[in-house]
Amino acid sequence: MTKAQTDSVQKLTQWILIVLLAAYTFYNLGPIFWLIISSLKSRADLFAMPPVWFFEPDLSGYQQVFGVGAAAESASAYGVLDSLISSIVVSTVGTALAVILGTMGGYVCSRFNFTGKNDFLFFVLSTRMLPPVAVLVFYHLMFARLGLADTRTGLVLVAVFANVGLATWIMKGFFDGVPKEIEQIALVSGYTRLYAFFRLVLPMVKGGIAATAGFCFIFAWNEFAFASILTTTKAKTLPVKISAASGATGIEWTQICAAGVVLIIPVLVFFYLIRKHLLMGMTFGVLGRR
Amino acid sequence: MSMQTTGATATMRATGKPAKKKSSGRLMILGFLSPTLLILIFMVAYPIFSLVFYSFHNFSALRPNAGMTPAGFDNYSYLLSDPDLWQRFVFTGKFVFLCVTLQMIIGIFVGYQLQKSFRGRDVIFTLLMMPMMLSPVVVGFLWRYMLNSEWGIVNYMLTLVGIGKVDWLGQTDAALWAAAAADTWMWTPFIILLATAAFRGIPETIYEAAEVDGASQAYVFFRITLPMSAPVLFIALILRLIDSFKQYDLFFALTGGGPGSSTETVSFAVAKTAFNYFYTGEASALAVILLCIIIGLSLILVRHLMKLGERY
Repeated sequence: MTKAQTDSVQKLTQWILIVLLAAYTFYNLGPIFWLIISSLKSRADLFAMPPVWFFEPDLSGYQQVFGVGAAAESASAYGVLDSLISSIVVSTVGTALAVILGTMGGYVCSRFNFTGKNDFLFFVLSTRMLPPVAVLVFYHLMFARLGLADTRTGLVLVAVFANVGLATWIMKGFFDGVPKEIEQIALVSGYTRLYAFFRLVLPMVKGGIAATAGFCFIFAWNEFAFASILTTTKAKTLPVKISAASGATGIEWTQICAAGVVLIIPVLVFFYLIRKHLLMGMTFGVLGRR
Repeated sequence: MSMQTTGATATMRATGKPAKKKSSGRLMILGFLSPTLLILIFMVAYPIFSLVFYSFHNFSALRPNAGMTPAGFDNYSYLLSDPDLWQRFVFTGKFVFLCVTLQMIIGIFVGYQLQKSFRGRDVIFTLLMMPMMLSPVVVGFLWRYMLNSEWGIVNYMLTLVGIGKVDWLGQTDAALWAAAAADTWMWTPFIILLATAAFRGIPETIYEAAEVDGASQAYVFFRITLPMSAPVLFIALILRLIDSFKQYDLFFALTGGGPGSSTETVSFAVAKTAFNYFYTGEASALAVILLCIIIGLSLILVRHLMKLGERY
């Protein structure tokens, strides 16, 4: 092969790569874009074939979700808005508790060597691996017996259990990044370990705690399997509520698209905040430590 | 500072504090871990033991007070001789295989391209990560919406390029591909994330040495890049195996298990047996089988995670 030929081959591969990457980017970003566009369409435009690109924005889907405007009268006693509140309460409280427990557990696992430490770490991570439906067979009975079925308290408990493992591992990763000498110096200077933990080490992992909270919130917010089986009316979360919109009368696509966007917005906000720690969060704090 | 430190050390030695320090450490371990342990025992260990117990009994959650009669291995032998269950395992297996293969190939390819630095890389990279953060239910409905055979955007685009309309969710094989496409859409970013990190972790000097030796690009990729990032890619693989194996939410929203019951995964079957038919004993047995597989995979995962944790 002459040099000119090698050059043209290289140029060709370069172009093929760019086309393939562009195709993937289209596949990746197109659906989110399409969801947002669709949520602003009226019923007629939604089912138009070929799809309409220019249309009068119509907010009826959002009105149904928030129970305002024309949809105010038809809003049911426990409407989508109530489920939105349920989602916010359950995810926030569940996240807070999971992060507190995870911070404590992560610190101890990062700093001490004790018998059964690895077993504990496996046990705690199992909460992330367990198929929800498997434990649900039992939760279903247990929650009914304890009066936790269809309550926000019950869902908070589930959110804590489902996220504490992830929180422990991620926080352990962040604590591993803080030099041990800090506590050694503190101890030698006569401070207690508790003081060193609260006053010296915790402030150093503030960013880590925020990132962990971001991850836990996203997972709690998206959670579906537990909520769908443990709630019937009063404590339904938003993902469960929108899945119920596919009822006997067919699927309420205007409502689902709008609810989908409402569900995605907080996720995107938190996602933006945690973007630097994405690698760490998705690998249980093992990779991407800084 | 240094004088203070030595002073403190001296007093500590004098008062014999180190011994006390050790016990305070033990107290801290106990105090910090026990709330989590309690939750785990209550929410993981206790349910799993009960599940195993139920699986050996005839029992229905509809009549919790009717008591349960011992059933020996009946639930298991019934399940294992049920062709419908095998069909679900086969379907789940096909789904897992398709998802994991597609995601690994696309993820490694895109990750390899995105490890290079170019203008706007960080923005594109962050944007591409979005799908994995969305709710699987939203993803399921979104794809169901796009894949509608009459007015879905996917079929519209297929007609534009001359391929006819496909009834994506009405045929078993097409529905399998549809579900795999949705899962791949959601989780390829995860592979990209890990692959890029692994590729970027390979020291530049190794590539320089390969270049000096005149190695081809393909050689460098298959003989250097891939083997050196294998530990991280392996973890990505196992995680995707576990997650796609227990997939439930996506099918609930995308296919509802249909057409018929042909796209029901094992998880779906557990839920249906337990909460539609209320055969609690049988559902428990199926859940135990599912758990055994997941726990086996998780053990492999955790062992490799810890090894990786020591190295990085």
